[in-house]
Amino acid sequence: MVSCAAVLLASSGCEKPADKKPETAGGGTPASLRIAVVPKGTTHEYWQSIHAGAKQAERELQGVEITFRGPQKEDDRDQQVSLVETLVSSRYDAIVLAPLDSRALLAPVKLAAAAKIPVVIMDSGLDGKVGEDFVSYIATDNKAGGAMAGKKLGELMGGKGKVLLLRYQEGSASTALREEGFVEAIRGFPGIELIDPKRYAGATRETAQQAAENLLTTNSDIGGVFCPNESSTYGMLLALRARNMAGKVPFIGFDSARELVDALAAGEVSALTVQNPIRMGYLAVKAAVDHLRGQPVEPLMDTGVALITKDTMNTPEHKNLLSPDLKSLLGTP
Amino acid sequence: MNRSGGVRTVLTSLAPALTLVAAVLLFWVIAPDRPLGLLDVRTILIQTVIVATVGLGMTLVIASGGIDLSVGSAVALSGVVAAKVMNADLGPDAAPWQPALALIAACGAGALCGAYNGLLHTLLGLPAFIVTLGTLGFYRGAAKWISDSSPVYAKAGWLSEWVAPIPSIPWLVVAPAVWLMLALAFGAAILMHRTVFGRHAVAIGSNEEAARRAGVPVRWVKLRVYAICGLCVGLAGVLQFARLGGSGDPTVQVGLELRAIAAVVIGGASLTGGVASIFGTLCGALLMALLDNRSTALGWPNYVQELLVGHIIIAAVALDRIRGRRLS
Repeated sequence: MVSCAAVLLASSGCEKPADKKPETAGGGTPASLRIAVVPKGTTHEYWQSIHAGAKQAERELQGVEITFRGPQKEDDRDQQVSLVETLVSSRYDAIVLAPLDSRALLAPVKLAAAAKIPVVIMDSGLDGKVGEDFVSYIATDNKAGGAMAGKKLGELMGGKGKVLLLRYQEGSASTALREEGFVEAIRGFPGIELIDPKRYAGATRETAQQAAENLLTTNSDIGGVFCPNESSTYGMLLALRARNMAGKVPFIGFDSARELVDALAAGEVSALTVQNPIRMGYLAVKAAVDHLRGQPVEPLMDTGVALITKDTMNTPEHKNLLSPDLKSLLGTP
Repeated sequence: MNRSGGVRTVLTSLAPALTLVAAVLLFWVIAPDRPLGLLDVRTILIQTVIVATVGLGMTLVIASGGIDLSVGSAVALSGVVAAKVMNADLGPDAAPWQPALALIAACGAGALCGAYNGLLHTLLGLPAFIVTLGTLGFYRGAAKWISDSSPVYAKAGWLSEWVAPIPSIPWLVVAPAVWLMLALAFGAAILMHRTVFGRHAVAIGSNEEAARRAGVPVRWVKLRVYAICGLCVGLAGVLQFARLGGSGDPTVQVGLELRAIAAVVIGGASLTGGVASIFGTLCGALLMALLDNRSTALGWPNYVQELLVGHIIIAAVALDRIRGRRLS
């Protein structure tokens, strides 16, 4: 067994000189920058959108090569730790990472920093120091998104009535911020009473539907509803439909899914607050490249949220946010 | 056994190592501009540790004709136990030895899981496959239960030093956990081939009925085999806890059982029992980590690696069959 290690060590020793071979990509242009983009998983549409944004940056910024690689199993923290370590040892020029865990990914990110490989964090936070452990943090300003939804809902309700908040899940940082932003915005309408029994929708559409039904049973006189993510919005939609309230009560949700887009078109959902993962992927890669090319990079970037209503859903910009044409963006046939 | 048979035995036992060397050379030929650096070797080795540590126990189980599908869940459970122990308030002087307590608790939890598997298997006479398929769900559920379904964050103390890819003591070259794994492998090889218990386990794997008639205490040996496997799993659990920067994650290592079994099979073991090699298992685990490293270094998409590993396992089993036919 020691010999195995010895073989690996020996082979690494004798291959060292190849390191110094100049890397050129034809025509004497300098080798392209290899940027690894690490999502939390590779199959969800959200991460495919991030991929599309990264690809867009690859096309626009010359001499950049993107490798999109997630943990072999979706949402596996251990495999994401291993993946980042391997990217460091493979000497990628920079790493763009959406950490699955704010603590577990800190050690491999520090390993990258020690190897002088810049890391850009996107989507979710890391317990490190920006400017020291990583270059920049690029994410949705969730609190602003919640506030935007709260303001719009208050207006739709004419500044009076009862508004119901179905929270998402305990310990989920991003949705907690959305809820906080929403609650603060609603406080700006003195005529609106907030019904916030601290009920949580739970992780899936089914649990959300159940929680929503229970809430609507005890609060049948509500004048508006807000839900902070896709599954809670969908569960609430089903519950409103079952009570024949869909389309009659102003209802704002968060994130996009095909069923929610249909409901928006049918007038059952008043508005959807959506993030911009394509822009997130684009900005994160651009930040990494700018940093490598010696240009200053903002330590914190907000990729923005948009509030989309039935009237605006067919504008090119909003259409692209609701249902992006990922196939053409990713350049696959 | 004649002389040429002896040579053949040596060659077959070296096959996994030769495959590993061939893979290293192959990647060197494919991509000479992306050589294996020292850091690559360090990360490959540290990433092998969990699969290989579990693989050691699995080798013993498979040699005895059994299987343990619950190892991934038990690793998660032991990791959560380690985190819980680290979070216990034992006063200000506890810092130096609290990690040792967590280590012992996690190993204990793992050994209990293994012993429970062994008890169900031997007392109820149920196939190990079914028993451990059941406990796979049970241990995962237990991990989620005691952790309240979300990661338990704790300080890892000196345990984090064990799993740092670049050790803080330079002359160690690789992470202390790697040396621990090698020492364990050495111990496991002695246990399997040089002790009565080990020979009994292999004899049960070759022919359980014959072993029983020859006076081998089959149930007692099997129970210990599963408990020892569990001990390895518990150790892997505490290493997992440390590798996640001090978090006991109840959802981690889903599917570890398949990678551990793959390592054992690539290492030349027969799934019907009686034949297994500790050294081979280590090579199998290293080979998978090497593939992982290289496909990342070369920028291959995730699925390429899955396609490759799938066929390496198939090739390993095919070789095993051919070998089996020759011998018979």
